[in-house]
Amino acid sequence: MSRIWIPVLALALSAALPELAHACPVCFDASDENRRAFVATTALLSLLPLGMVAGAGLWLRRRVRRTEAGGRSEPSRD
Amino acid sequence: MSRDGVTAGSAAYAIEPRPEPRPRPKLVSDGVLGMLAFIFTEVMFFAGLVSAHAIVRSQAAGAMWPPYGQPRLPVQETAVNTAALLVSGIVLVLTWLAFRREPSSARIPLLLSILLGAIFVWFQGLEWVALLAEGLTIRSSSYGGFFYLIVGAHALHAVAALVALAWAWLRLDRKRLTATQLATVSAFWYFVVLVWPVLYVKVYL
Repeated sequence: MSRIWIPVLALALSAALPELAHACPVCFDASDENRRAFVATTALLSLLPLGMVAGAGLWLRRRVRRTEAGGRSEPSRD
Repeated sequence: MSRDGVTAGSAAYAIEPRPEPRPRPKLVSDGVLGMLAFIFTEVMFFAGLVSAHAIVRSQAAGAMWPPYGQPRLPVQETAVNTAALLVSGIVLVLTWLAFRREPSSARIPLLLSILLGAIFVWFQGLEWVALLAEGLTIRSSSYGGFFYLIVGAHALHAVAALVALAWAWLRLDRKRLTATQLATVSAFWYFVVLVWPVLYVKVYL
């Protein structure tokens, strides 16, 4: 006897009993203000380190180019 | 196989000696690089505090912010104080330019920058005393807790940076200050100056 009907029945039952999962406060919060704050702070904390690393990289690249072009990399009084 | 060449079958191939690499000029001094790494961590520290503050404040959107019964923060007075801090940062830029021209000419602007920074810290302290007298403590509400945590963390950084600037001024006075040392402590003070307007807007307004 084939037991294929067991997962099919389980799938049908789970599809017939939908339930909202309000686990994520970013996606499912009653307050718009709170949701916006979560999204904004998530973006801030994700992008800030990337931005700082990118900024440092660009700054170093500019210094390398300036040094190669004959400019000085550091003030002479050291 | 010999030391200077490789023998493959009957043929010997000489290996050209590798030329000595040219010494590269240092792009960033060790002090400035270390300070930049420290500043990166501190930026993330303040970003975390500001984010937590924004979340808590947003949860009180329906209610009052500041909470009922809590004293209001002195927005105008702190704006004047903020201006003093910003001017201090500008004067420090002038200090750097003066130092590059002639180190001894940087004494007055560096001292002025330190004094303006000290004025900022002093008036922040007075503001704290007044707010404590009005009943705003770190335990009175999340409003008070965040205020003292964020502004207090900044004040701690400001005091540490002022001590570093004072140390630089003493070395400059004894003609022992190097450009690297001045750049390192200046970077710390620029961080203190530039992070404050963000904190002011988020906490006071």
